[in-house]
Amino acid sequence: MALSTEVGIIGYGQSIYLKRTDRTLFSFFAEVTRSALASTNVSKQEIDGLAVCSFELPPDNAVTLAEQFGMSVSWAYLGTAGGAGPVASVINAVRAIEAGHARTVLCLAGDNYDVAGHYRLMDNFNRALKNYATPHGFGGANGLFGIVQRKHMETYGTRREQLGQIAVGQRASAVLNDNALLRAPLTLEEYMNARVIADPLRLYDCVLPCSGAEAVIVGPIDRARDKAVRILSGFERHNHPPGEPAPLRGGWELFRDALYREAGHGPHDMDFVQAYDDYPIMVAIQLEDLGFCKKGAVGSFLERHDFAWNGTLPLNTGGGQLSCGQSGAGGGMIGLVEAVRQLRGEAGARQVPKANRGLVSGYGMVGYGHGLSTSSVILERVA
Amino acid sequence: MSTTEKHYPQPQSDRDNEIFLAGWRQGRLMLQSCGDCDHTFFYPRPLCPHCWSSALSWKPALGNGEIVSFSLIHRPNHPSFFDEVPIVLAEIRIPEGVTFLGRVVGAAANSIGIGTSVRLVSATEAQNYPLPTFEVNTA
Repeated sequence: MALSTEVGIIGYGQSIYLKRTDRTLFSFFAEVTRSALASTNVSKQEIDGLAVCSFELPPDNAVTLAEQFGMSVSWAYLGTAGGAGPVASVINAVRAIEAGHARTVLCLAGDNYDVAGHYRLMDNFNRALKNYATPHGFGGANGLFGIVQRKHMETYGTRREQLGQIAVGQRASAVLNDNALLRAPLTLEEYMNARVIADPLRLYDCVLPCSGAEAVIVGPIDRARDKAVRILSGFERHNHPPGEPAPLRGGWELFRDALYREAGHGPHDMDFVQAYDDYPIMVAIQLEDLGFCKKGAVGSFLERHDFAWNGTLPLNTGGGQLSCGQSGAGGGMIGLVEAVRQLRGEAGARQVPKANRGLVSGYGMVGYGHGLSTSSVILERVA
Repeated sequence: MSTTEKHYPQPQSDRDNEIFLAGWRQGRLMLQSCGDCDHTFFYPRPLCPHCWSSALSWKPALGNGEIVSFSLIHRPNHPSFFDEVPIVLAEIRIPEGVTFLGRVVGAAANSIGIGTSVRLVSATEAQNYPLPTFEVNTA
């Protein structure tokens, strides 16, 4: 069933990103909640649904967060899909509103941790990793995605200098984003020669763990009028394909056709793409699975495009996680917030000209070898 | 080997994986097979992930395999590995029809490639590592 056309994203908020902080996780959620409300004319009393995605939130959850924030809600959602969770939470919020469980939903995502905290998190991320990867010295997600990238390079001839186009293009956008932790220009040469982390991965293939949060408000489009963003279609898929430690594809390939059919637009109708960028190789695999090029042909596709905000395919136009930093599960909402900002024409110096429609994609929940979860939405400006 | 097994992060033994972990302490890679659908799988589970049968049995793997892909980890997750970099973490395919993640150790580990033949380390050397660990098969 297609998503309701009466419900959309009517507000958004983004916190500052910090490499190190003594601030609490709740303080980041408070910051983005206030900023999301300020972006629309919705009041605290109108919010009757709450969704949250955060690795560091336990032992708290969506309901105890509601208590912290003094909210009485009729729908509460705790994301379980890692970096695919925030996009999935928006899809589920629309469904909840359609079903009458809530009218206006605050969707939050974020974490407060640093590099050491990230390794601690990954060592204990789930039972399979803890028992069967951590004792090998697996190097966290870097070690796993090095395996995926080498396999893609070997299978399809993909080269590092091609993948580097992603990091370099995104950094050109980050230069214009005051909130990005990494905003000095990055050359392909610097990308190629950076410090080795988990060969074939080098420094600029990896994200910088940081603290921060993101928010969107999902509700009746008429509450925001010309500032609202429609969700033309949205899908999620988990654990596809089952049983492979390092697949070169993900759940996107299963819902891609329905995603575009329901939206009434194909990949080449997108004015920008916000793809989950934990690593350039996963952006490349998303571009393949989401039909921007054929499976295995992404290398030459990357060579033909400029991915900066003003390039031929604007990609992660705020710099993405690769330049802003990865605020844990917040990394799964950074693309959503940037897409809403672009569609509202509020992206300032990095505003994509004629940004009417874009695709946002999520990926995450690293299990035994790779991210298990995928999610995507196609968004369009109302006015 | 400057770091002994007790310093590495250890897998947590439970009713589902105790045969696997006990097997490795004797240098064997124990795998579960399903009596209903004949699939062999890794990691240990309380049900067959293919058909959800509980008719599972254990048997040791032959011990050889082939590298499907790998990464050379210069920044391991845990300090106990810091003086052993690069850690060779590989996706390994074994004749039993299973692929999984395994560490490859030994002098030749830095010269491996995709398709390199590997085998389990000796039962004596197995004592040094918490999980089934491989070396380049020079035979």
